Formats: sequence, structure tokens, C-alpha cells
Amino acid sequence: MKILLSWLKDYIDINETPEKIADALNMAGLEVEAVIQPGKNLKQVVVGKILNKGPHPDADKLSLCSVDVNRGEPLQIVCGATNMKEGDKVPVAMIGAKLPSGFEISRAKIRGIESFGMMCSRKELGISEEHAGLYILPESAEVGEDIVKVLGMDEVIFEISITPNRGDALSHLGIARELSAIFNLPLHREPLGNDEGEGRIDDEISVEIHEDQLCPRYGARVVKNVKVGPSPEWLRDRLEKIGIRSINNVVDVTNYIMLDIGHPMHAFDLARIKGRKIIVRSAKSDEKMTTLDEQKRNLDPSMLVIADSEAPVALAGVMGGFESSVTEETKDILLEAASFDPVCVRKTAKRLAMMSESSYRFERGTNIDNIPIALNEAAKLLKNIAGATPVKGIFDAYPKQEILRQVRVRTKRVNKIIGINLTASQIETYLLRLKLETRKDGEDIIVSVPPYRHDLEMEADLIEEVARMYGYNNIPETLPAITSVLKLPSPLQKLENRIKQHLVSIGFNQILTYSFVPAGISESFREKKPLSLKNPLSEEQATMRTSLKWGMYDALRRNILNDEFNLRFFEMGRVFQPVAGEISEEHSRICLGFSGAANPNDWRRSQEPFDLFVVKGIIQNIGNLFGLKLKFTPGSCSLFHPAMQMEVTCEKTVVGQFGQLHPQFLDNRKMPKHIFIAELDLGLLADKNVAIPRMVAIPEFPAIRRDLALMVPKSANHRDIVKIIADEGRKLLEDHHLFDIYQGKGIEDGFRSMAYSLTFRDNAKTLTDEEIQPIIDKIVARLAKELNVNLR
Amino acid sequence: MSESHTNLLQQYHSEKKSAKTTAELEALRVKYLGKKGEITQQLKGLGKLPPDERKARGAEINKIKTEIQESLETSMRDLALKEQEAKLQAEKPDHSLPGLFNSPGTLHPVDRVAQEIADIFLSMGFFMAEGPEIEEEYYNFEALNVPSHHPAREMQDTFYLESGQVLRTQTSPVQIRTMEMLQPPLKMIGLGKVFRRDSDITHSPMFHQMEGLVVGEQISMSDLKGTLIMFVENMFGKRPYRFRPSYFPFTEPSAEMDIQCIFCEGKGCKVCKGTGWMEVLGCGMVNPRVFEAVKYDTEKYTGFAFGMGIERIAMLRYGINDIRLLFNSDIRFLRQF
Repeated sequence: MKILLSWLKDYIDINETPEKIADALNMAGLEVEAVIQPGKNLKQVVVGKILNKGPHPDADKLSLCSVDVNRGEPLQIVCGATNMKEGDKVPVAMIGAKLPSGFEISRAKIRGIESFGMMCSRKELGISEEHAGLYILPESAEVGEDIVKVLGMDEVIFEISITPNRGDALSHLGIARELSAIFNLPLHREPLGNDEGEGRIDDEISVEIHEDQLCPRYGARVVKNVKVGPSPEWLRDRLEKIGIRSINNVVDVTNYIMLDIGHPMHAFDLARIKGRKIIVRSAKSDEKMTTLDEQKRNLDPSMLVIADSEAPVALAGVMGGFESSVTEETKDILLEAASFDPVCVRKTAKRLAMMSESSYRFERGTNIDNIPIALNEAAKLLKNIAGATPVKGIFDAYPKQEILRQVRVRTKRVNKIIGINLTASQIETYLLRLKLETRKDGEDIIVSVPPYRHDLEMEADLIEEVARMYGYNNIPETLPAITSVLKLPSPLQKLENRIKQHLVSIGFNQILTYSFVPAGISESFREKKPLSLKNPLSEEQATMRTSLKWGMYDALRRNILNDEFNLRFFEMGRVFQPVAGEISEEHSRICLGFSGAANPNDWRRSQEPFDLFVVKGIIQNIGNLFGLKLKFTPGSCSLFHPAMQMEVTCEKTVVGQFGQLHPQFLDNRKMPKHIFIAELDLGLLADKNVAIPRMVAIPEFPAIRRDLALMVPKSANHRDIVKIIADEGRKLLEDHHLFDIYQGKGIEDGFRSMAYSLTFRDNAKTLTDEEIQPIIDKIVARLAKELNVNLR
Repeated sequence: MSESHTNLLQQYHSEKKSAKTTAELEALRVKYLGKKGEITQQLKGLGKLPPDERKARGAEINKIKTEIQESLETSMRDLALKEQEAKLQAEKPDHSLPGLFNSPGTLHPVDRVAQEIADIFLSMGFFMAEGPEIEEEYYNFEALNVPSHHPAREMQDTFYLESGQVLRTQTSPVQIRTMEMLQPPLKMIGLGKVFRRDSDITHSPMFHQMEGLVVGEQISMSDLKGTLIMFVENMFGKRPYRFRPSYFPFTEPSAEMDIQCIFCEGKGCKVCKGTGWMEVLGCGMVNPRVFEAVKYDTEKYTGFAFGMGIERIAMLRYGINDIRLLFNSDIRFLRQF
């Protein structure tokens, strides 16, 4: 909202600098987003009088003028405009002037003729967007005078953002009232218009309110014989500075009143109000109306309309009707000022998607007491600027007089909440500065809330007013003297933090992707039918993710297309799975993505890509962090290469899966074959009990190590071999692991060489080879017999 | 000493001087002390001498023998060390080759900042609470004193699901859920994703918030100030700050906290739009209506709450100029943090 300093001065004699005013408003909770001073950067532009206008000798479209700027010899200026004549007064930017566009005026030769300045249009002065020739100034402008002063461009405009609770501050009066409280200055205003006039209002119009809950008060006033036409300069000027287009004197007056005291108004062409009757009622089921913006609107009974005896003429508080609007032919005018229910206005405006300055204010609450003031002021203005004759009186439909809200403010409570120590009288002084009526009751203060302060409903609201006046920055600073109940991080929180640290330290970059994914992604990326947003921003963000895999795929893919091939990513976040009906469950997941070299910084083997076992190892190690035994079995996820994938189980619960991306998803030539994605459910892992380690004594007796190099046919696998080793090794076998695997030269086709290291130990004595040999023999025998695996 | 012996010694010393390797020294040893060496020969020849001469002569030869022996041993040791050193030196690799390592990865800048913020509050005795991201309208709005059709809802344009649930627009519902579970005194923070229908270079439809709540019997606005100043000083360093009145439906009085712009030190710049101030968080005293919603005694308990956008702070901290970069997963961006 824009507020003019000169307009504020109608109400308050304030002489502070614009900066100080802005600061004070900020510190009172009315956020000043910008202070605009249009004339601030306009120097060396003065009023000039065209003494002589002749053609440019070398250019048909240019003229050559001699312009008096009251600085000695007249200036010779070449000009391209055509709308001026000798004797006109125009703004002249002299040499050295700088215009708001940044253009600097210097001596110039235009088609061979020297020009000592520039005559300006409104646009060039930064006043308006219209570029219709030079700005011809009124005859009264004094030659040589600074244009900033002549055009009132020494104006200061505050751009203020008003929070939704402060409907009362959406006007110049409202801001002035606030400043009066802050600076403790009196508030004054011109004498108000009155309801004098000719004739009787009752003979012109009558008002019926059928919905007094939605319209507690409706005031109507009539003015006759209006000459609809352009507004006077002062009125146009104020509106334009606010950024409101001047339409005609009638519409301008209603807008002016709204900006002045904050009450939206509407003007009807009285001749088009059928039956000379206003009825405030709900719209009928299939009623239609064309609004001012010439849109045909379908109405429904939730909407409140202003109707004449036949049909709606306005949407209450939102917009007037086209049929009854003021035109150049209009003679008599019906002025409306009313009070409408904020929720009703908001619903209607939202349903029809037609927010207006009027609905904006009604939604935030207006001042019911301003209704007669607005009507009388409008009548006065139309009399003065449009030659209108007001009809005496207001038709004031006000079925239930509003009672002022009373709120009790306890001194003790004020001090407790703010953390200060004021007396009841000090508190009362602050409240009085805000023009609130107060009455003391012992240590309590009873406040009568004026009808425009809709935000002051309870004690806490008034405590805020006291704090604002006291100054937030004067409140002392302390620390809470409490000890909170203890709530330790949940197992899930701990798990998440630990995994994050671990993955970062082994080279993973954390990513964050949107929780919504395109509706059309392949089912392979989904686990269940996703939840859909009712009002997504785009099709790309239309459904809630049921897995993190698509986001990971998309992240890997986009980086690869940027020629970044070596990637290891992880994301932690929630997925949303619909369960029974409309209820959804949220699951915390981790997703890992792998592309390119497994060890890109290791120049001895930097070309080795990720493979299933590197990924398996990383997953296994996540389990190891928490002492969890993860089991791996072949998987069956359609996202992955059918043979290169595994399912991960922990204590018989499936906790995730991983695999190499199925070639069908390698939809760009740049995408390498070896892309892996893994996803684990963190909630399921966090649920597993992590055993507290118990110390085992460090062995006293030496171990015996034996290596077995085996020729393994395709039919046998590691797990079966290890099972036999463990079976036969029994208690004496302390450790066994695969340490080498080899295929190729020297090994028969269809076979692999696998080497295992076995460690035997007896905790009670030193083992001898003689004790071990029978075990080894048995292992070897069983391997040969059961698996066709022989010593190499 | 006889002349022949003096010559022998001199000869030995001059020969040793020119010996450069342990092998040459060994040859010298053989020449003088070996079985057929000169010293050995002379010792063997002692028997042929008359007894009175034999003794004096014997002593002399033995002295020479000891001298040569010791001299050889010392030289041998020195040379052996030198030779080993040379051999080790010969193993010298190209030291300029890079080390073998897996370079550490990076936490996402939003997570990194969130953890820094959380650490400050956790150190101050707050605990971390959580809540769902798909939330009931009641928790997201009504319980926080935002009725339907209230203009305050416009401050947060909401995503709806078919079920009528919403994607939470703020982490404040975590406050409600926590208070429903626990009785005061409590100091909590909540961290998580929030969603609003808004997308441009400073707004993302998904972002993160940190929420805080303190409830007790004597909690005042001065406690709010003290706590948040302590946070801000630890997060941004000691610098001027201010509290401006503002409006949030769930707090009353409400405030916004600004700190002096960290880029221009208050002189006014593009980032702070010339004001010299940067808004860091919103806060206020818990509205009694919120306490009513969770059945806390509004007379007995008072409290304060605060909330801040993590992305905004991360963007300020790392000089990130477009919020969308945070969610693009571009490795060229991520690896910078």
C-alpha cells in the first residue's frame, strides 16, 4: 500500500524526516518496504516558456525552439515533439540535468544544430507512463522555477506492507493515527462533510437488509445533477501517485475516500436502480450478473448481493455491476457505504477469483462508524468538483447497533508477559495514545475497543499494544529460568545422523529433491499408487513420492547430461504411502545413487566402475555401523537389471533393495551402463534392537592359519562353500573369509579359482597341525563330494 | 717402531683412503689381516726370531694389527651406512603424484545450516521434536488460531490432498503435537520440510523450517529476546539486532527479528535492499488460544515460539542467489559446501 506524506499531513503535523518516519513505522509493526521520493533524483529541470518555435533547417520532423528559463539569454533547443506552441510553458531539462531514466543532458548537436537542453514529457520526468508529447504546464507556472516544486514532486511515498490483522491501517487516516500514537502528536482533520442538502432521501431510495449477519449496516446517499467528467488536478495527482488510474470524478471520489479513511464505497447510476430500492440479500441459485469488468458471473446462494427490485446490481463488497455503473450520461448518483461480513466477502472474492481493493479491505475489517462519514465526505466532494446537488440525509439501515467490545487488561499480566514492571497508569497512558477508551478498575484497566480495531479481541492483543508503545527494543533480555522435560533424540534421529556422517566421510554428496514427483513417471519408480495433490503447481509436481528412487534417478541423469559422470549421491527424506483409504503413512528412507568410477581418485585403478559388490559392501557397512546383520537375496524390482539386483533383509524384514539400473532407463547416449540405485527404509532399521557389545577376552593361545585354493565350477556358489567350511570348522574355526577370486588364463572354462583363508584357535591350549588336518581333510572331502569343488 | 713397520702402516692408511666401497675395504682386510696377509705373515714369522727380539717385535706387530683392525671396522661401519642410505635413496618415487584417497563428500548446505542451528539450541537445553509432513488442517491451521477463510491463510498458500489433508505450510504443527504429548516446562525445536504454493528465485514450493517453543510458568518476552539474541550471536556473530512488531496468528505479541546486514555491515546494499537490516526469524509469545487448543492452563503457563526458514539463512551464509539451485542436485553446486 502506498501512502503519501503530504496526504498524512492532512491529519498530523509531522516534521520528522522520511527516514525517521519509516523507521518509526517499522518499529511499530507497519513494515515500510520502500520510501520513494520521485523528485529526489530530478535536478536542473525548470519551467521554460517557448518564445519562438521554428522549423529545423535540415529535418522535417524536428523543430527549433527558443526557450526562456529565466537564466539570461533564452536557450536554443531542438525538439521532436509537436504538441507545443509559442507561449506554452514546459519542463526544461538544462545541461547537466539527470532524468529518472538515468539519461544525462549534455550539449548536443542534432542534425547540425546545437541544442542546449531538452523539453520533457510526463514520462521523461518519471510521472506517468503516457508519452503523448511534451508536458504542457499550467499558465500559472513561474518561468525558471524548479519543476520538482512546481509539480509537487517533492512528495514522499511510503510503500507499506500491512499485516492481515491491521485492516484499520489500510488508509491515510489509519497510518496517521498510528504516527500520532508513536510520536505522541495530536490528530486533526478538516471539518467533515454533513448530510445537508435538498429534498429528502426517503423520496429517492429505500434500503432493506435481508441478511443482517452478513451486512450489519448499509448507508445510502443520493447526489443529483452530477457532471461526470475528469477530476481536478489535485485529485488526479493524489490518485496517480498512489498508482490508481483516474477514471472520472465520481469513481475517483469513491476511491479517494477509500484511500483517505479506509472505507470502500460504490457509486450507482440512480436511474438504473429499478424500483428505487436497494435490497441486500443472498444471490439466488442460478442468478447471473455482469460485473464492472464486463465479465458474466454465475452467482450462488453463498454470495451476498446488492439488488434492486429486480436483479443484483453489485456483488457486496467485491465489485459493482456493469449495468448500474456510472457513465458519462449519468445524472443522479446513489452512493453506497456499508459494512459486510469479512468471511462472506472473502469467500465470494475467492470463488470468483476477483480480489479488489474493496474486498481486500472488507476481508480485513472496516470501521462501521465510518459509513456516514464516508457518504457525507463523498457528497461534499462531488458538490465541490462535479457540481452535484446532494439530497438531504442518509438512508442508514443499521438494524443492530454494534456494541463496543470491552477487554480487561491486568497490570500483573502485562508485566508477566512482557517481562517489565509498569504501573497501571503507565499502561493506561500507552493505551490512550492509541486512541483507546480506558477505565480503571483497581489495578486492572477496562478498554473499550473502537470499531476499527478488529485485531483487539482479548487481553493478549492489548498486551501487544502496550509492548509496541513501550518499544520492543526497550524490553530487557533474560534467559528462561526453566529446565525442560528431557527428551532424547529418537533412535531414528540418531541413526540418520550417524549414516549421514558416515556417507559424507566416504565421499557421498547429499542431495535434496522435491517431495512431489511427476504424475507420469514409470510405475517402476513407484511402490504404490501415489497420493495426488489437489492443486499442484505443475504436472511435474503433481503427486507425492512413494519412493526416493525417481528423484535419485533424475538427479544422476541430469548430472550425467552435464558431463559429470562420477557421482555418489544420497538423499534422506520421507516418502508417502497411501494405506487403507485416504490415510497415508510417512516413511523415512535413504536412497543412494552411484555412477561412474568407484574410486575416481585412485590413479592405480581409477577406471574401475561401480559394480554390484561395491554397492553391496557400502550397504553392508551401513548395517555394520549399528551392528545389524543384513541379508542379501536376489531381487525382482523392475527398475533394475534382472540379474544385477538384490533385496536387503534385516531380521526377516525386507528393508530395501538395490541394483543396476535397467538398460531401458538409459535413455540418453551419455548415460553409462553402470548406474546403481539403492534404497533402504530407515524406520525399519531404527526399530531393530542394537545389542550392547559385551567384551570377549583377548586370546592367550596362538592361532593356526590355513589357506584353501579351490577350483569352483559355475554350479557352486560362495554361500554353499562357506556353509561347509563353517559346518566342519565348528568351534575351532575362529574366522574364515574369501581373499581372492580369479578367472581366466590357467583356469578351465566354466570354473573360477576361489581362495579362502581359515583361522583356527583353541582358547584353552595351543593347537597343533595334527588337530587341524582332519578338519581340513573333511572340508575338502565334502566340498568335492557335494559341490564338485576341488583343491587347485 | 721399526722403519719397515712405519712404512707398512703408512701404506695401509694411504690405501684405505682410496677405498670407496665395503668390497674394497674387505680386500684391504684380506691383504693385511687375511690368512696370507702381511700382518699375519709377519706374526707367523715371529717364531724364527731370537727370543729377546721376538717379544718386542711381537708387541709391535700386534699393536699395528689392532690399529688396522679398528680402523677397518670403523670405516666399514661408516661405509655400510652410506651404502644403505644410497640404496634407500634410489627407491625415491615421484613425490608429486597425488595421494590415494576417497575425497569426502558434502552435506547439503540446507542440512549443514540446519544442524548448526539445531546444535545451538540443543546446547541450550532444547530437545528435537518431529511431526508429519502431510498434516491435518486442524494442526496446521485451526489449532494455531488460523480459522478457515481468514486472510492470514493467504500468507501461506497451501497444497491440498484429495483427503482434505494439507502439506504442512509451517513446522508449527509440531508445537501442537508436542504440547498434546508433554506437559510443561518444555523447550523444543522442530525441524523439517514445509510446502507452499510459490515458486521463483527466492521461493521454493518445498523448503525447510526450524521451529522453537518454550513453555513454563514464568516465561516472558524478555526471555524470548535473551534466547534469540544468544542464538543469533552464536550463529552470525555479535552484531546489532532489532525486534519489530509483526503478526502471526499463533503468537501475541508477535515480532520479527532483524540483524544488521552481514554483507554491508549496515551500510545498505542490494541484499538488504538498502535498509542495512536482514530479517532472520519470526517470533512471539504463544497466543492463549493455542494453549487452549492443547488444554494448557493459560493462566499458569506462558511461553514463546519462533520460526525461521533454513534456506534463507543458508542462502545468506553461502551467498547463494537462487533458491532453486538448492534442489537441482547439481554436483558442481553441491561439491562446493
